Amino acid sequence: MSTALNPCNHLSDYKLRYGLKGFNLIQKWVKTSPCKKTLLGKSKSEIPRCSFCCGYEGRIYICLICSSMSCSLSSESNHALLHTQTQIGHEIAVDVQRSELYCFACGDQVYDPDFDRAVMCEQIVGLGNGNLEGVRSSNKRKRLSFEGGLNSDLKNLKRVVGGGDWDHGRRLSKSCFPVGLRGLNNLGNTCFMNSVLQALLHAPPIRNYFLSGRHDRVSCRKTSSNRFCLSCDIDVIFSAVFSGDRAPYSPAQFLYSWWRLSENLACYEQQDAHEFFMSVLDRIHEEEGKTRNTNKDNGDCHCVVHRAFSGLLRSDVTCTTCGFTSTTYDPCVDISLDFNTNVDHISPNKPQKSTELGISTLTSCLDLFTRPEKLGSDQKLYCQNCQERRESVKQMSIKRLPLVLCLHVKRFEHSLVKKASRKIDRHLQFPFSLDMTPYVSSSIVRKRFGNRIFAFEGDESEFSTKFEVFAVITHSGMLESGHYVTYLRLNEQWYKCDDAWITEVDDEVVRASQIYLVFYVQKPNSGQKSGEDAGCHLRSSPSGDSFVSIAGCC
Amino acid sequence: MSAPDEDNTSNNTQLASNFFGELLDSVIMDVASECHRVARLGLDRNLDDEEEELRLSAQARARVADPSNSETNSKYVVDIFGQTHPSVAAEIFDCMNCGRSIVAGRFAPHLEKCMGKGRKARVKATRSSTAAAQNR
Repeated sequence: MSTALNPCNHLSDYKLRYGLKGFNLIQKWVKTSPCKKTLLGKSKSEIPRCSFCCGYEGRIYICLICSSMSCSLSSESNHALLHTQTQIGHEIAVDVQRSELYCFACGDQVYDPDFDRAVMCEQIVGLGNGNLEGVRSSNKRKRLSFEGGLNSDLKNLKRVVGGGDWDHGRRLSKSCFPVGLRGLNNLGNTCFMNSVLQALLHAPPIRNYFLSGRHDRVSCRKTSSNRFCLSCDIDVIFSAVFSGDRAPYSPAQFLYSWWRLSENLACYEQQDAHEFFMSVLDRIHEEEGKTRNTNKDNGDCHCVVHRAFSGLLRSDVTCTTCGFTSTTYDPCVDISLDFNTNVDHISPNKPQKSTELGISTLTSCLDLFTRPEKLGSDQKLYCQNCQERRESVKQMSIKRLPLVLCLHVKRFEHSLVKKASRKIDRHLQFPFSLDMTPYVSSSIVRKRFGNRIFAFEGDESEFSTKFEVFAVITHSGMLESGHYVTYLRLNEQWYKCDDAWITEVDDEVVRASQIYLVFYVQKPNSGQKSGEDAGCHLRSSPSGDSFVSIAGCC
Repeated sequence: MSAPDEDNTSNNTQLASNFFGELLDSVIMDVASECHRVARLGLDRNLDDEEEELRLSAQARARVADPSNSETNSKYVVDIFGQTHPSVAAEIFDCMNCGRSIVAGRFAPHLEKCMGKGRKARVKATRSSTAAAQNR
């Protein structure tokens, strides 16, 4: 099987014999058009025709050795194949409608980095993007590595281990529970607060930061002019929750401080957990900014909140007339996803009923988030190239992934027209292990150019794109009178944190729940930085010690 | 209708049919070509894992929805540490705004009035929050 790394013999032979001459010749014929596929055409006015039959139907191929064109209509009428049979050695050709290499000896489409580079260069120039961001054409740059099956061994191992036998192993350790597991009393419709606190308490960078005493309450009280500091209050909660005392804790001071700091949200009513989460991150960031005098732009901020949650989103707006793309970057601390109502997965192993809806998945919501979106004709944006307002296509992607990825599922629809809100109760499937590769900017931009083999900026990232879930906040019930619950995953075991009640639950219960906020942490690639490692480690000791000493500081 | 017109219509239909066929073939070929490239370059998602996840999810939902599985309302069970708790948290502590002893489960509504916020507290609209706090 010919892959980019292992070209077929015929392709390698061709390159040995003819080098890049053929590719460079083809380059001249590359025709690009914005938002459409790349074609080959010798002349602007004539359509490609087969040299055998003068036909223009079916697939047209240009021979890479003699540049003759031939068509392939069906298995009976394949002039392209005829050409390779009459002209010995003329095995490699290019499909003109797709700009793809084809080997007639193998009878298969084949791929070559030099060919792709030739096509890419024309694409870049042709679309008026002389200095297209994110695309570089450096020969010296390391080749794109194809890691298709890299972690497959690891995955297979996990699958075996994650089966039935492992359950017995887990059950044995029931007597010693992880540190930091403690119920939180509901102070009166405060499950929105409790659920977010549980997630924060176990977000590795946040947990490590506070447990290693990085927020000094004493000096904070002295320097801070404000009586209320959420970081101090959270620090108190961390100490209490990780103290080993298992009686439910009442985060009353935290509630009070938060109300004093967020006047507009302070009331005895069910709040939205996501809104609360954003508000808490904001307050902690502000406080850090004051004490450290590093109130930089959110993107570069080094406060604990931003170091944990901050990522960078890339937004590309492409003019549909000339193809010029304008790129902007915006920092974010979470990603809010719309429900993808276009059902893509039909339930496997189940007979289809007419009323049966397919399954909505978190990955399909991410697909929707990064899908090219054609902006309406009433939303024309100014194109620098055309010097006019033009219709455009917008596409989002993730330039830099955060250490802790918070995905927010927009379940609450507010209709300004109806002046009413409703909740989308639909179940959303989500993976325990999430690979964000298809959603990062390098993948999205590459896909836009037809997935050509080309060195893209940001390919070699120091951070992993693989994430593992550690907390899930679910919402059940109605819009105004629902209930939030957090599921925490500690040492491969799921715990349900329902206000004061902590119970063990199976994977199934979590999978079947209605997710609202999902928290993933970066999984390390071998030898790379990891989200879990950001600082100190905490493991439950075999004797169930309440507090394990922390080695080092982060 | 005379015969030539009928021929024209059927010719046009034939032509339209041909064009559509061409376009359809071309589109199918486009998709096949793109998928082929993605698969050969190893850029595709691990479909096996995805299928597995979907299967587990469907299985989970079926099991949880099964009425024979006791859906324990966790408010009335023992937690993993062997503790039971009342539905309204019973711990008592002092309000940090007014100093009164408050039951944990009723702290939020108390605090709202205490701080002069919320619907019920807005009756005392003219008073400042500190004045409300001093109210015992």
